Amino acid sequence: MKKAPPRQEHEITQLLAEWRDGNQAALDELYPLVYDELHRLARRYMSRERKGHTLQTTALINEAYVRLVDQRNVQWANRSHFFAISAQIMRRILIDHARRQTYAKRGGGARQVSLEETAIVVQDDLSEFLRLDEALKALAELDPRRSQVVELKYFGGLNNDEIAGVLKISKNTVIRDWNMARAWLHHQLTGSAST
Amino acid sequence: MKPERWQQISRIFNRAISLDDAAARAAYVRENCGTDDDLKAEVEKLIESHEQAEDDDFIGGLAVEDVAEHFTGDEEERALQKGQQFGDYLILDHLGIGGMGQVYLAQDARLDRTVALKILSADVAADERRMQRFRQEAKVTSSLNQPNILTIFESGEVDGLTFIAAEFVDGETLRDYLRGKRLKFGEILDIGIQVLAALDAAHEAKIVHRDMKPENVMIRKRDHVVKVLDFGLAKVTEKKKSASGEEGLHEESRTEFKTAPGLIMGTVNYMSPEQTQAKAVDARSDIWSTGVIIYEMIAGTKPFGGTTSAHTIVQILEKDPAPLAHAGAPEVPQELQRIVAKSMAKDPDERYQTAKDMLIDLRNLKKRLELDAEIERSAAYPTAVFGPPAITTIEDAKRTAESTVAGISKTKAALIVALVAIVASVAAVVGIYVWRGKRNTPIVPPPTSVTPPAQPRLTYWITVQKYKDGKPYEAPFDLAGEINFEADYQIRLSIRGLQAGYLYVLNEGPTGAGNAPEYVVIFPSPTANDGSEFVAANQRVQIPNETWLKFDKEQGVEKLWLIFSEQALPELAGVKAFTNPRNRGLIDDAQLNKTIDSFLSSRLSETATPEKGDTFTALKTASKTLIYPIRLEHH
Ligand SMILES: Nc1ncnc2c1ncn2[C@@H]1O[C@H](COP(=O)(O)OP(=O)(O)OP(=O)(O)O)[C@@H](O)[C@H]1O
Ligand SMILES: [Mg+2]
Repeated sequence: MKKAPPRQEHEITQLLAEWRDGNQAALDELYPLVYDELHRLARRYMSRERKGHTLQTTALINEAYVRLVDQRNVQWANRSHFFAISAQIMRRILIDHARRQTYAKRGGGARQVSLEETAIVVQDDLSEFLRLDEALKALAELDPRRSQVVELKYFGGLNNDEIAGVLKISKNTVIRDWNMARAWLHHQLTGSAST
Repeated sequence: MKPERWQQISRIFNRAISLDDAAARAAYVRENCGTDDDLKAEVEKLIESHEQAEDDDFIGGLAVEDVAEHFTGDEEERALQKGQQFGDYLILDHLGIGGMGQVYLAQDARLDRTVALKILSADVAADERRMQRFRQEAKVTSSLNQPNILTIFESGEVDGLTFIAAEFVDGETLRDYLRGKRLKFGEILDIGIQVLAALDAAHEAKIVHRDMKPENVMIRKRDHVVKVLDFGLAKVTEKKKSASGEEGLHEESRTEFKTAPGLIMGTVNYMSPEQTQAKAVDARSDIWSTGVIIYEMIAGTKPFGGTTSAHTIVQILEKDPAPLAHAGAPEVPQELQRIVAKSMAKDPDERYQTAKDMLIDLRNLKKRLELDAEIERSAAYPTAVFGPPAITTIEDAKRTAESTVAGISKTKAALIVALVAIVASVAAVVGIYVWRGKRNTPIVPPPTSVTPPAQPRLTYWITVQKYKDGKPYEAPFDLAGEINFEADYQIRLSIRGLQAGYLYVLNEGPTGAGNAPEYVVIFPSPTANDGSEFVAANQRVQIPNETWLKFDKEQGVEKLWLIFSEQALPELAGVKAFTNPRNRGLIDDAQLNKTIDSFLSSRLSETATPEKGDTFTALKTASKTLIYPIRLEHH
């Protein structure tokens, strides 16, 4: 019923290699495997978070990588590809969560009180988070690469060098893309609301 | 927008923001946009957004951090829901979350008994060899039938989920039990003795626990029987070595853990030196960990605790813990200090070699302390034959004892014989009375159980989560309450009453309609104690349970009225209508605010007296209703 770990390791390594070589079908197979692992790890991190442990996306993705990928056939390109797909998956995991959490809508009659439960404020943060995701989708229509830079950095926790490696662009381009994308997203979230 | 246009905007934007000077930026934009006002407007808009984004550190952190705190207690993340059928089990409730997954209360349909169902995460369950060994060890420990070892009924798999069904302990983990109170030595010894009895039996059967910590010790509410949990599980959950290591070679005796920042790790605070170094581990490692637990029960703090796991490990390996006599418990018996020190010798060869040896020492000490107390008490109250002794405090008893029998503590040995007669006769009444009292309410040591307090008493403390740049940082900590809170600290309020009773917590707001303040209901609340204002004796209530309270941005002092009474309070019955956190608990009924206000002001003269500890405040009152305003000053 459950695949033995060694086979899975090998399989994922293989799929990563195929995807790198341009086989898009490999990505479709890879996606659910990585999703499960990341989801499980993320949940564990979240529960640890309550006990006061800090959370680091890269550490989390790295752990997924070490667990899933056959370390004997490691290639740097594999790792960055893994991080790229993981960033995308982290985004989906977090957005799915946020969406579920915001179901419970806040009641009316909101008057200022001086001590209140965070759960209420939380929903503001989360709806903001969901709006960011929407804006990022709009940016992807306009400029796929810049939206990918944001995804890798903000959702995947990659640094500029790693992003440069994944997207095969220079580090300076990463920085420029990031600035432009961030300004545009910020404007979408704040500017358009007031005008 | 056309791609060319977009590229054009981005080119001008990027060049412009690379210029530090605002005037130079403006000039550059003007120059490069020419007469195209639309273009100019677009670029300027973006530059402004860029500056704001820099200032707000917009998406400057990581998504997972920005949202992580909101997922805690995420109901839907639980594999099983209340009322759901799971194999032969009916899920009744959620009990807790641990390193391996969720724990549920469930009903076993076949035997009509309740069990604790622990669902193991897939990676733990997938390791067939380790699971096999766990099952084997669980079988052995359970078959020992030792009352302090949690019984495992079965383990199995349903719908792809691996579960362990164990005896359900209706009580608290030692970790929760310790919060907000200092235990008396008698109780510490009681707990230590039961833990060691469990270990002794397991060690005899060649099973080492390896993960002894207060989270794995539970205290049953009904009779205060101690249960040690998770025998044999530590091995299953030890981190598999990554492919670089020679997995399988030494893993029988090795403990792997990771120290890289952010990686998952259980607590290292209770690990023995040999465990932190991934050396061979045997029964003596459990003895160390038990020593650490006893130390913590006495001192109220852990003997080793650095800011990071790595620091803690260095302390474990190199540092001697602060002497117990100084660690906040000056009167701790010499013998107890010796026992703890011996159990925590860095070199396993210098420790107690068996749990039995340590158990014997603890038992002897307990007998001695009991006998001392008995002697003092019987010497003090020879007339107690006529009824329950009127001891009001332990100090009274001691003082009287000392004046009646000169030098009693120094010549105890000789007196013991002489006093046996008194003990024998007086014990017929006092002793038995004490003994019964103890049986019924073993939580309170004998002298106080003789005269249970008639007035309501409670302890409260505040758990603080610090925030920095909008993100939680550092582990939450407990305090008695008197600090000036930063505006963005988030807090939880915990309350524990000595008696069962009705509890209300109201935040006093500014004066509203009807010339009374507007109160905000903090408790009861559906996010604490299941919405009920009734709390059991010694039950710890955390407000709120899963989330936090946060201050508004206006600097000032929050006055939180704490109201506790054994009898129901009709004046406050109306607040329940406002307990929904979605309407923020604000009472907008002027009449009700007035009722509350006059209720509180009529009792102003009898507010409770606080006694500050390091990490909690104890409240006492002479009235039937305990009322106290907690003041929380914040920026
Ligand atoms: N047999 C039981 N009866 C009642 N409650 C239980 C039982 N076992 C566990 N619990 C509850 O579930 C919580 C989680 O237990 P669990 O053993 O999974 O976590 P832990 O001890 O904190 O971590 P670890 O995974 O290291 O053991 C406990 O804190 C306790 O409240
Ligand atoms: Mg446990």
